[in-house]
Amino acid sequence: MPHVAVTAVGVDRPGIVAAVTGVLLEHGGNLEDTAMTRLGGHFAMVLVVEVAEDASSLERALVTVGEPLGLTVTVRPIAEADVASDDGAAWAVTVHGADRPGIVHRVTTLLADHGANIVDLATRQLTTDAGTGYVVLLEVLLPPGADDTALDTALQALAADLGVDVHLRPDEPDYL
Amino acid sequence: MPVRPVRLFPDPVLSGACAPVGEIDDAALALARDLLDTMRGSAHSVGVAAPQIGVAKRAFCVDVTGHPKARSCHGEVVLFDPVVVERHGTDVGREGCMSVPDLTGDVARSSSLVVSGIGIDGAPTTLEVDAFEARAVQHELDHLDGLLFLDRVVAGNRVYRRRVYR
Repeated sequence: MPHVAVTAVGVDRPGIVAAVTGVLLEHGGNLEDTAMTRLGGHFAMVLVVEVAEDASSLERALVTVGEPLGLTVTVRPIAEADVASDDGAAWAVTVHGADRPGIVHRVTTLLADHGANIVDLATRQLTTDAGTGYVVLLEVLLPPGADDTALDTALQALAADLGVDVHLRPDEPDYL
Repeated sequence: MPVRPVRLFPDPVLSGACAPVGEIDDAALALARDLLDTMRGSAHSVGVAAPQIGVAKRAFCVDVTGHPKARSCHGEVVLFDPVVVERHGTDVGREGCMSVPDLTGDVARSSSLVVSGIGIDGAPTTLEVDAFEARAVQHELDHLDGLLFLDRVVAGNRVYRRRVYR
């Protein structure tokens, strides 16, 4: 069965997930991996859905239901991807400091240059009496044989340049 | 005694509360051997609970020997009808489970605990465990109540997709 990526974003209110998943259920969709969260007062959904019908008819149905909820909805076909292809060592990267343009771009560019694959990234902007701060939390996979010491050295140099704090730590689970 | 196939989520045997073992008879000893053989036969495994091999009885084995995060270490332990007597502190750590391949999650566990039960020799025994051994014991204890680490993750976004046994 083919898969689609469904995205929906709108000002947060109760009932968004129930409405969107109700349409997917009616149309024979099966939810697979999803991420749904509040972002700055908006609710954002990204869903991988196995579907029985084409993306455009599903999108029409979702737009109809989403409009009164103030949702912007898209449905697009996506290629099959192998979820078992994750390989390498798990590391966590934390970045925090005064907000400024380019933090995410420069950190992720450096990570990409070192072959690190980002598997999760969340950011939070927060304002206190001391100013506006920015927090970036990343989960990355380093390729087998990668030099984590060299990566840390490069991250620390970038941190000094950006005036932020960066911490790299191993994040392997314990298997019980 | 054989290495038994490990039951995988969402097998219902992993979701029910297990019955007490009671008397340590030949069947209980056979279960203990199967638990140990299955643990020994599984790369990375530091513990197996009876429901993971399809037996809904209150028994598990652990062995954290050589694990870098271990502090207390009682070597190879089999415990029947275990009961937590005391628990102290809390630590969050990322756990994976043989029965839940591909997912790991951040779980809060007591830092140390005292657990009592019946040993493989049929005698009552009490263990004081901490650090990684405490985590392993609590993970296996949960299996006996039909709980997976998924039931204890500290927040909804703290479950990760990861290939488990490379």
